[in-house]
Amino acid sequence: MRIQKKITAFLVLMIFFASFAGSLIPSAHAAEAKKTYVIGTDTTFAPFEFQDANGDFVGIDMDLIKAIAADQGFEVRIQSLGFNAALQALQSGNVDGVIAGMSITDERKQTFDFSDPYFEAGPMMGVAANNDTIKSYEDLRGKRVAVKTGTEGATFADSIKDKYGFTIATFDDSTQLVDEVKAGGSVAYFEDYPVLAFGIAQGNGMKTVTEKEPGGSYGFAVNKGQNQELLQMFNKGLANLKANGEYDAIQAKYLSADGTAVVGDKLSKWDVIWTSMPAFIKGMGLTIYYTIVSLFFAFILGLIFGSMKVSHNKVLRGISTVFVDIFRGIPLLLLVSFVYFAIPQAFGFTMQVWLAAIIALSLNAGAYVTEIIRGGIQSIDKGQMEAARSLGVPYQTAMRKIILPQAIKVMVPSFINQMVITLKDTSIMSVIGLVELMQSGKLVIARTYDTFTVYLVMAIMYLIVITILTKIADRLERRVSRG
Amino acid sequence: MGKVKVTGLKKSYGSNDVLKGIDMEVQEGEVVCVIGPSGSGKSTFLRCLNLLEEITDGQVLVDDRDLTSKESDINKIRENIGMVFQHFNLFPHMTVLKNITFAPIELKKATPAEAEKQALVLLERVGLADKANAFPSSLSGGQKQRVAIARALAMNPDIMLFDEPTSALDPEMVGEVLGVMQDLASEGMTMIIVTHEMGFAREVGNRVVFMDGGYIVEQGSPEEVFGNPKHERTISFLEKVL
Repeated sequence: MRIQKKITAFLVLMIFFASFAGSLIPSAHAAEAKKTYVIGTDTTFAPFEFQDANGDFVGIDMDLIKAIAADQGFEVRIQSLGFNAALQALQSGNVDGVIAGMSITDERKQTFDFSDPYFEAGPMMGVAANNDTIKSYEDLRGKRVAVKTGTEGATFADSIKDKYGFTIATFDDSTQLVDEVKAGGSVAYFEDYPVLAFGIAQGNGMKTVTEKEPGGSYGFAVNKGQNQELLQMFNKGLANLKANGEYDAIQAKYLSADGTAVVGDKLSKWDVIWTSMPAFIKGMGLTIYYTIVSLFFAFILGLIFGSMKVSHNKVLRGISTVFVDIFRGIPLLLLVSFVYFAIPQAFGFTMQVWLAAIIALSLNAGAYVTEIIRGGIQSIDKGQMEAARSLGVPYQTAMRKIILPQAIKVMVPSFINQMVITLKDTSIMSVIGLVELMQSGKLVIARTYDTFTVYLVMAIMYLIVITILTKIADRLERRVSRG
Repeated sequence: MGKVKVTGLKKSYGSNDVLKGIDMEVQEGEVVCVIGPSGSGKSTFLRCLNLLEEITDGQVLVDDRDLTSKESDINKIRENIGMVFQHFNLFPHMTVLKNITFAPIELKKATPAEAEKQALVLLERVGLADKANAFPSSLSGGQKQRVAIARALAMNPDIMLFDEPTSALDPEMVGEVLGVMQDLASEGMTMIIVTHEMGFAREVGNRVVFMDGGYIVEQGSPEEVFGNPKHERTISFLEKVL
């Protein structure tokens, strides 16, 4: 009886959390009067897009799209996904447009329609500030350089790699390039010059030794043949901003007239931690929230498929086995990519980031919870079921009143384990741009370039939260086993 | 008409035939002791009588109701057949009292108040009135088995099945359990007991059934079977155990 009451209380709490958190999720219906477009962007491409100390998305791209939206009378909702993820989201229709310091290339024109160019960029090479051996491309012979996927820097490096005899390592994230060079894996990196200059000005420990290469220009993109009115408004708005001087003002905010970055104040380690704390705490809160909601649904899935797995019906057992095999067998990273990118694209619908994350986490954890429940039930001596049945008690009642209360005691340690795993697994959702602790950290690194401090703080936060949750769970476990 | 009527009962697990055709009739108030070497199928036979084992072939009638017929509600039939297991199978998460009242309350045979009153009477009968609020883990084997008997009796069954009820007990506790069973027999309960307690079978049983290799080899009054066994296998089994 007591256990039942606890489970009921737990469920009520879950529903309360779910409804409370529902209000936290960004709503698409923020503005009813104006049309809202969802704009995908990169996570880390300062000075074009990055999160400032307040957790707001700023940068040339961000200011520009917001100014154009204001000028043309529409609303934008920014979704910070990462460059590759943003393009996939655009193709699958999860976002309406992408502004991400994206170079206009003939290849991309096959898939996307571009606006008029809004920025003239070009690739440039960066090396560690204390590196005296690399002074020109000639010095790269036999060495490795880092590039970011899809950038002009990557294209340029690829075009000269045979001539100068170096190899290329490819990364997803601008800050990873700097970390790679700092760690010594590569001797240099190629990056679009405003990004490179901004990073150096932020004190990322890099310098330039060569000139900027001539390059293409950046454009705003929509899916080919779709959202043409958005593209028209972007072009009109851009022309208006250029005419009234607002465009120049936005650029001057981030880049000085000679094209180098406007130097911000160099932050100390404590300042980095201090100014990022609100973002971290919010990220942690969201991590816990996604964990709880996902575990709630995983629990329901586990109860359904777990009871199917111990039933006498071969078909039900088979269905349950297939469920477990599929969702335990597919890596979570691949699963969430399916749910967010592949399936919406294949079937022509759009999917919210938070929903995709919860679906993927629930299915993954659900498969494990199914096995925990099956194992728990099967660990109970079958004499218990026989004793209940011999008294005339039906199977369902015996399962509920005799087997499950005993099995739950066996399952609790595994549930705690699963909770810890799922909490850590939410960090994988940062690949689709879900804002949780990991993603919050990545965004702060993009702004401050202080990889070590940020990752250390995040690791400590994960440890603290998991320790607290484990302690609470331990006390719960002792209660359950006592009574 | 007998209380229990078994005709041509067969039970196999895959290609392993455990029961190869059993015919038996048990009259109301009769105490039948089933003896035989291990692996003879006597426990399986007992478990077929309340369908804890699926029946491969044959027919079992309890109070003229066919166990395997689609129309029979097996849960209803089981309410009338109490069973006591070798390993007690008490519910460890419930007190002794809850163990006994669980089924009557759950199956709406009694209100909680009535069920508790009856449970206390039953506990008195098996000599454990002071253990009502104890958990099974704090009881000795003999006490556990007496609670298990009280639990089965709480459904007011007409028939009681005992599956080696004393085999898991320390020798000094066998007596207390057999005592309770003897009282039950003298009150006229129909009982089928799979047992290794030959003394008990001789004293309390109206009939002794010797099983071997999935068949009933020999049966009769205790005097006949123990005093003058006819079949060679019965003789060699009794030589070993007596």
